[in-house]
Amino acid sequence: MRGFIILGLGLVLAVVFSLMIGDVWITPAKLWQGLLTGQGPGSLTLRVIRGPRVATALGAGAALGLAGAIFQTLFRNPLAAPDVMGFNAGAGLAVLLAISFGWALPMPVVAALGGLLAAVLVAALAHKPGHPASGMVLILVGLGFGFTASAIASFISVSLPVSEASEAQRWLTGSLAARNWGHAAEVWILATVLSIALAALLPAFKLIELGNDLATGLGLRVDAARWSIIAVGVLLATAAVAVSGPVPFVALMAAPLGIGLTRAREPGARFAAAALSGALVMVLADLAARAAIPGVQLPIGVMTGILGAPYLLWRLSREMERGEL
Amino acid sequence: MSDPVRYQGDGDLTLRADNLSLGYQDRKVIDRLTLTLPAGRVTSILGPNGCGKSTLLKALARLITPLQGAVTLGGEDVHRKNTRALARLLSILPQAPLAPDGITVADLARRGRAPWRAFLAPWSDTDAKACDDALSAVGMTDLADRPLSELSGGQRQRAWIALVLAQATPLLLLDEPTTWLDLPHQIEVLALLKRRNREAGTTVISVLHDLNLAARFSDHLVLLGRDGLVAEGAPDAVLTAKHLQTAFGLAARIIDDPVTGTPMVVPL
Repeated sequence: MRGFIILGLGLVLAVVFSLMIGDVWITPAKLWQGLLTGQGPGSLTLRVIRGPRVATALGAGAALGLAGAIFQTLFRNPLAAPDVMGFNAGAGLAVLLAISFGWALPMPVVAALGGLLAAVLVAALAHKPGHPASGMVLILVGLGFGFTASAIASFISVSLPVSEASEAQRWLTGSLAARNWGHAAEVWILATVLSIALAALLPAFKLIELGNDLATGLGLRVDAARWSIIAVGVLLATAAVAVSGPVPFVALMAAPLGIGLTRAREPGARFAAAALSGALVMVLADLAARAAIPGVQLPIGVMTGILGAPYLLWRLSREMERGEL
Repeated sequence: MSDPVRYQGDGDLTLRADNLSLGYQDRKVIDRLTLTLPAGRVTSILGPNGCGKSTLLKALARLITPLQGAVTLGGEDVHRKNTRALARLLSILPQAPLAPDGITVADLARRGRAPWRAFLAPWSDTDAKACDDALSAVGMTDLADRPLSELSGGQRQRAWIALVLAQATPLLLLDEPTTWLDLPHQIEVLALLKRRNREAGTTVISVLHDLNLAARFSDHLVLLGRDGLVAEGAPDAVLTAKHLQTAFGLAARIIDDPVTGTPMVVPL
């Protein structure tokens, strides 16, 4: 319980600092005044400049944290996250294709289709007849798929007109620049609906954790449940990608951080911890990206990359020690 | 509140393999096996490594789809029956179930109630009683709140058995429940399974390695060899020098167990 309080307080503080700090500093007093009166610089910051951005970061971070926790638990591997396994890159590529070819589909739908297609492709590439694919094989195949998708996306973005190219590059890194309340609402609504779906799948999840044979013995239709859970995980990740680009490493880092802090055991509590820490990492990374170099706004993906890459290397070395690699 | 442990229905609970073939198209592990596993008894499936005894047990629990033939429970094909309805009649403890991180003994037992619980249903008195009974049957009541990872091998195995006991099915299948355990713990596990059979009438079917322990704790033995069924029946009819020679290629003399009078295998 103490861990949840620390996470919650940390999140509140991160949000307040995020609203205060930027090119122009806004004091908490001014924010409070703006909130109450709807007037002045505080109000402008909340309504237009930083409010929607922070709200989008919260929703996208929570969705990524949940997605990471789902895959890490399902494949019993701390490296199994939608960003490592290429689902985010697949969604990012789909969005870029949609923009450059001018497809008239809503971005979350495009991202979802791209992510689901990526998941199916990774599963098919890792498939060996008669043997269930191990988590590690899926991760390595996904890693390769992710690099390929990113490379194709970069290639397409370079061939765009100059004005759009830099914007596309920025988005592909993962960026929360110029987010409005529409983006925030989009990711919040999707994350809420998918969380409800996940809660409904929780009893099935608790059985799958015990292994496929025991889960079947306890009356679960394992394949159907497994694919439903995977679909919810992919859709959570792509809902975030649709509003913030394929931000790397948040999904990978969030669950171990949140679960480590809270020591949550039950799957429901673990998911809650992962969602909170995902939101926290995202808001802090966005704040750092804005405040690191005065006058320069780095894309958030640069910041999560700086944090996440060493973490990934550390995890890989741990897995090697455990003999998993 | 009904007693969750005792089977309330009056259906036929005889498990049968009917002309059953298992394995892969090019390599059959079990070939056209027909077998009846008596209800209400303790049955052990014995045989050399690779004879397909675990495969057979998995097929009996509908975990493997047969190449041909069928497994029937009370005349109904288990592979066609609603899997949740079957989970209220038959439980299976696989050889290597996976323990979620940090799970406690009580949590593990609670997951055994899954087939009985409706979506969003609150935890009922029957669920609570079934778990309490299961934990006390395996002697783990005092350790209920301990994480599984802190327990010894024998305690861990008893915690897994508590899960399938909480499932409260009239048939209980176990795949090598005594592997990795030292002799006292093997005896402890087999004794508690036999007690469950005698007290609640549960049909217990397990794959075992140790012939003498199997003879001591079972009412019925199924002996498989590399070419299929060698013998089935009461322990003293199945464990004969001739059958062991056929099944294992083992030369052995059979004497009476000085304690229980059941057959005891002494390899020559």
